[in-house]
Amino acid sequence: MASLPSRTLLSWLWGVPQQVHQDDDASSSPQRFSVTPRIKELVHMKPWAIETQHVSKQFPNGAYALRDIEWGVQEGETMALIGESGSGKTTLLRLLNRLAEPTDGIVFIQGKPACSQDPIQLRRRLGYVPQDGGLFPHWTINQNVCLVPQLLGWTPIRQLEQVTKLLPLLNLDPAQIAERYPTELSGGQRQRVAVARALAADPPIVLLDEPFGALDPLTRHDLQDQFLSLKTRLQKTMVLITHDMSEAFRLGDRITILKEGHIHQIGTPQELLHSPATPYVDSLIQHYHAHPG
Amino acid sequence: MSIRLFSIITLIQGDKKEMPTPRSRQRTGRIFTGIMVGLLGLLSSLSLPAWPSDTIVVGSKNFMESRLLAEMFAQLIEARTELTVTRRLGLAGTQVCFEALRTGAIDLYPEYTGTGLVTILNEPPMHDRVSVLNHVRKEFLHRWDIWWMAPLGFENSYALALRRDRAQTLGLRTISDLVRVAPQLKAGFGYEFIQRQDGLVGLTESYGLQFQNVIGMQQTLKYQATDKGDIDLLDVYTTDGRLAVYDFVVLEDDHHFFPPYEAAALVRGKILKRHPELGNVISLLTNAVDPPRMRELNLRIQEQGELVSQVAHDALRTLDLVGDNHVRSVTIVESSDSFLPYLWSKRSDLTMRTGEHLGLSGLGLFLGILIAIPLGLILEQWRKGAETIIRIVGMLQTIPSIALLAFMIPIFGVGALPAIMALWMYSLFPILRNTYSGLRDAAPNVVETGRALGMTEWQILRAIRLPLAAPTIMAGIRTSAIWTVGTATLAAFIGAGGLGVPIVAGLQLADTNLILSGALPATVLALTVDGFLGRVEQWVRPRGLEPVR
Repeated sequence: MASLPSRTLLSWLWGVPQQVHQDDDASSSPQRFSVTPRIKELVHMKPWAIETQHVSKQFPNGAYALRDIEWGVQEGETMALIGESGSGKTTLLRLLNRLAEPTDGIVFIQGKPACSQDPIQLRRRLGYVPQDGGLFPHWTINQNVCLVPQLLGWTPIRQLEQVTKLLPLLNLDPAQIAERYPTELSGGQRQRVAVARALAADPPIVLLDEPFGALDPLTRHDLQDQFLSLKTRLQKTMVLITHDMSEAFRLGDRITILKEGHIHQIGTPQELLHSPATPYVDSLIQHYHAHPG
Repeated sequence: MSIRLFSIITLIQGDKKEMPTPRSRQRTGRIFTGIMVGLLGLLSSLSLPAWPSDTIVVGSKNFMESRLLAEMFAQLIEARTELTVTRRLGLAGTQVCFEALRTGAIDLYPEYTGTGLVTILNEPPMHDRVSVLNHVRKEFLHRWDIWWMAPLGFENSYALALRRDRAQTLGLRTISDLVRVAPQLKAGFGYEFIQRQDGLVGLTESYGLQFQNVIGMQQTLKYQATDKGDIDLLDVYTTDGRLAVYDFVVLEDDHHFFPPYEAAALVRGKILKRHPELGNVISLLTNAVDPPRMRELNLRIQEQGELVSQVAHDALRTLDLVGDNHVRSVTIVESSDSFLPYLWSKRSDLTMRTGEHLGLSGLGLFLGILIAIPLGLILEQWRKGAETIIRIVGMLQTIPSIALLAFMIPIFGVGALPAIMALWMYSLFPILRNTYSGLRDAAPNVVETGRALGMTEWQILRAIRLPLAAPTIMAGIRTSAIWTVGTATLAAFIGAGGLGVPIVAGLQLADTNLILSGALPATVLALTVDGFLGRVEQWVRPRGLEPVR
């Protein structure tokens, strides 16, 4: 079928190619900002990449998904978000890229209130990796990875350079897989492509929603290792949702523990291990000691 | 009209060929303008068909005697006036035919006084010939400015008949005799007869008849059915040529129940005023055809397979109404041939019919796609109302096609336009349903990821939803296409041509070869279209969705 002449016609229809006009320069330096004094003291004056002030999210039926969240992620740090399902961790992530709006309070992204920024432009500056990869099944790996650069209007040559630079970082061979389709890859490969896609436009912040949750234990461990080396190389600000305590301890610089819409503790793995703030955190730590990843 | 439709289509397709890129808004604008212009053109073509003033449109119902009389009118007008004649023969039933006349889609057609009284005026049957004629003349003139011309000289009434040997065994001569044996008899009656007040309904009341079993049957198949003894009693038309061939006895209507059905031309008053010569020419046939003559003419068509035009011409020549020079080269089709040579002998006709058929169903389907896909897109955005609207469109599907065609006539007249409109309405539902659910259910996680990475809703629609829904939408189009090609055979009922023409004619003549010569190509056509669209479906399926090799 590929020999049919009007493939280009279809690819227009399916929106595969390029060139959306460029509204915003993604590389412009983020504005620095002021933070509430209380939190600032706690974290030695490092600049905030993400900050929430009194953020609540209430469902139409009145129940709270999140209640009065005071929270922040420093530049270059990896924040692991851990909690049971229904704890509000996914909702918190969705507030950051404005897939959801808080019913109360303000979310700051790089010092500017998220609600004052165009959601489309904002999302293009926030990398995103969903649990199942979320790759477009009808696009090649190349096209998938170049999604955001293409939305931002990069030249095709620059896009190509980015692919050839990025895929090897994730142990993927561009020559082998760039022109293949997601269904032709293994689960682990697909997830790595999803990470490459999130990093493609060099966003200052990357959001990962249980990125390794659906993989088998061996592949997961393998990917976690690669993630760690990538993390030290790229120095991105990352928010990583997980329900796996050992993953949070391995990958997170700091860990936020959420339960029923409240933050139980924010701290480094050491702080959590030595001084759990609530009985709930303590029970998590006990459980972790009993079954270390 | 169809020419206008074609120009709309080329207009739109012409724009589609240069695929717009997201950058050039003005080109998208041009497509939009193209569609608007197209819709305007379509709207303007919906207004009532306006015929050139020197053209007379002759219609007929879909049985042979009506066709024959209409053909006689047509040839007479052609021979004796300067007027051009357009034939719209074989319209489905009284309702369709009369609506066409009333709305000016046709100018004249042969009708029977009894039908005018009971079916059209909806009044109780009367039994005196002259008073029926006077009454319908007065009412038609008063209500619609439609004229009953002078009767042609024969009645084609309903009657009950059965085989002579059977009648003798049972000792039947009149309908009153029938009352006694009716509970043991199986009756095969035409659908119209069963429904009519002056048919079975009134008959059972008037005589107190009670049959063992009444089977609804196609008029032309009934005679054969008595051969096998499945059926004892038939409703017949008194001018049916087969009464003699099959040796049937007509039972005497001793209560004078059946109203008189005198044949006459029914003509629009406007056209008579514009062309007075028309009235003069048709009057030439006043009392010109007596019942035996009519039976003989009918028989030549029914049993000897002669062409209607030939028989009409012979009849007019016998009456010295047309000259010899009018003879057309006519070959009598031997329907007793084996099928394949028969099919081969009709190849040019069938090719034309297939072309018409494809044209009708193609246009109907094209319009269906044009409306249903955008509507599906809109409903996907406005899901609150979606189910309701889809259900309403689905209800269109359940309207019986004959009824739908009948509704169309007051709006679109007869011919290709109402047929295309009906096919269009039938094609909507599968495409709409599949477009809507295909878009709605297209990989929600992928859609969400696209949104999270900063795609606009429009980009998501174009780059994710549409391509992932494409195979589903295409499957809907495929369903519609098969349906449309199948239903297009019904276009023959309103004179739109297509492969339904040999099927309908074959049903009337009980000619299996003739029926097959329409049905077989229609089936082949449906299969071909399906195969072709199957390939298109493969082609629009985005590559990554193909199974891994």
